[in-house]
Amino acid sequence: MMDRVDKKLRVESSRATVRKLGMDFIALLVALIFLFPLYWILISSFKTDVEIFDKNISFWPRNFSFSPWVTQLNDNDFLFSLRNSLIIAASNMVLSTVLGCTAAYGLARFKTPGKRVIILVFLVTQMMPGSLLLTPLYLMFTKAGLLNSFPAPVMAIATGSIPFIVVIMRPFFLSLPKSLDEAARIDGCNAFTSFTRIMLPIARVGLVTCMVFCFLHGWNDLLYSMTFNVKTAMRPLTANIYKFMDKYGTKWNQIMAYGAILVIPVLVIFVGLQKYIIGGLTSGAVKE
Amino acid sequence: MQKLLMRKRDQLTGLVFVLPAILYMLVLMVYPLVYNFILSFRNLTVMNFKNNAAVFIGFENYLNIFRDKDFQQALLQTLWFTLACITVQFSIGFVLAVFFNAKFHLAKPVRGMMLVAWMMPISVTGLLFKYMFLTEGGVINELLKVFGLMFGSPPGWLIDPKLAMWAVIITNCWIGIPFNMLLLTTGMSNISADIYESAAIDGCTVFQKFFLITVPMLKASILSVLMLGFIYTFKVFDLIFMMTKGGPLNATEVVSTYSYRQSFTLFNFSVGSASAIILFVCLMTVGVFYLRMIQKDEAM
Repeated sequence: MMDRVDKKLRVESSRATVRKLGMDFIALLVALIFLFPLYWILISSFKTDVEIFDKNISFWPRNFSFSPWVTQLNDNDFLFSLRNSLIIAASNMVLSTVLGCTAAYGLARFKTPGKRVIILVFLVTQMMPGSLLLTPLYLMFTKAGLLNSFPAPVMAIATGSIPFIVVIMRPFFLSLPKSLDEAARIDGCNAFTSFTRIMLPIARVGLVTCMVFCFLHGWNDLLYSMTFNVKTAMRPLTANIYKFMDKYGTKWNQIMAYGAILVIPVLVIFVGLQKYIIGGLTSGAVKE
Repeated sequence: MQKLLMRKRDQLTGLVFVLPAILYMLVLMVYPLVYNFILSFRNLTVMNFKNNAAVFIGFENYLNIFRDKDFQQALLQTLWFTLACITVQFSIGFVLAVFFNAKFHLAKPVRGMMLVAWMMPISVTGLLFKYMFLTEGGVINELLKVFGLMFGSPPGWLIDPKLAMWAVIITNCWIGIPFNMLLLTTGMSNISADIYESAAIDGCTVFQKFFLITVPMLKASILSVLMLGFIYTFKVFDLIFMMTKGGPLNATEVVSTYSYRQSFTLFNFSVGSASAIILFVCLMTVGVFYLRMIQKDEAM
């Protein structure tokens, strides 16, 4: 009797193992299909010019060549575009985090008048298409003499990043106990120092997620930089892609190396902070 | 009295925290929005911008836009693009969410990796798929050949007006599927395992469990994924601009690229503004439902 039960259990568990292995296999297939474009951008960026122009497409470089990467990293146009990308992304990160976090805290902790309307406005802003602000901002910046400057794209990008932070950080601050702030006040903090010294450090997980996203908003922006900054010297990598396509023609190995370098920060951030990013995203997008 | 004072103080402190962001948004979002609205009723172009000669022309821009064959085509194509993307994204995303919700070794790592697609700069995604969709030298045609799926001459994905829309839809789904999957997975993980267990005791089949438990319990997630999907897809710009610029022969022109072309290629600022307003109105018709839904469960 015992023997039979034992046998049955064993059969069942081995069945479960086989099923799990099968699922692992399917998962691998899914990964293969979805990650293929990423594989392709990398692999193409290591091909030689001869191979890129060859009619027979190779799925693995015949001669591994670092020359597309070397060419890009020695190209002055590339380097200043990279610098511009970093400036725009970092500025947007600082500007949006400072304004967004304080607003999120104010809307979470205090009985701010007009709260409902303010939150609604932030939510609506998230749905606005970029083109809606593009024309008026372009005309405003033209009058203010701000075209071909870094503040122009940064200020425009932040109109999207600030509401994003408020929507994500407000629930975060709401979940912190009010007594923390009250205790800090008794210990001699005012509302502001309690926010910067006590509440923000506690909320650092959310804070870092937000900062990362704001950095990426700036890093990924194409529309605003391309429209406000016509001068190549003021454009970030995304907006200068077309210039590089003219320069390198159909040398897709060069263009893919360019693209791969643009993806690197995204990958680094993603691998490092995956857990927080997914958490932050879902808390902002879907309310449970 | 003391209490009232405290309350006032509390309100004031809150206002101080919110004020910088409010002022910022008033200057760089609300004002431009109003300005955009006014522009759409004037006839501002690059010609009369310098000397302020633009005049009020009422609804003329809107009437002209709706009469414009290019715009009609763009609007229909935007709708088609959105519907096709949402259908594909949502159904595949749903299947994958169910699949990755099971417990096996690679479930979490693979699910996580797929999200990279969603975080990449769209300009790079567009560029990459443009390369992959090349008629000659593109890897997609090569794969079709390798798997014996190529009938006749290689399809000109980005140069054939009949195929270009499909190329951008496929690309957009590559970004959208992981996003849909993630949001649905989050919803699924909130369904307690107890419910499934008791259903199993009551003798429910896998299909019954899916349609009688998973789908109804996920209703809120499903709705918000569909609505967010609509909003994000309907305003597509970067991807199409990078891959086709609306071409070939306007075959992939959407409302946002139409608006951009009006403002920054033809410099008809007012026409660009009016078409952006139309885009916004389309988004808000769905957006209102979304806002209502999330405000219901928001404790304010």
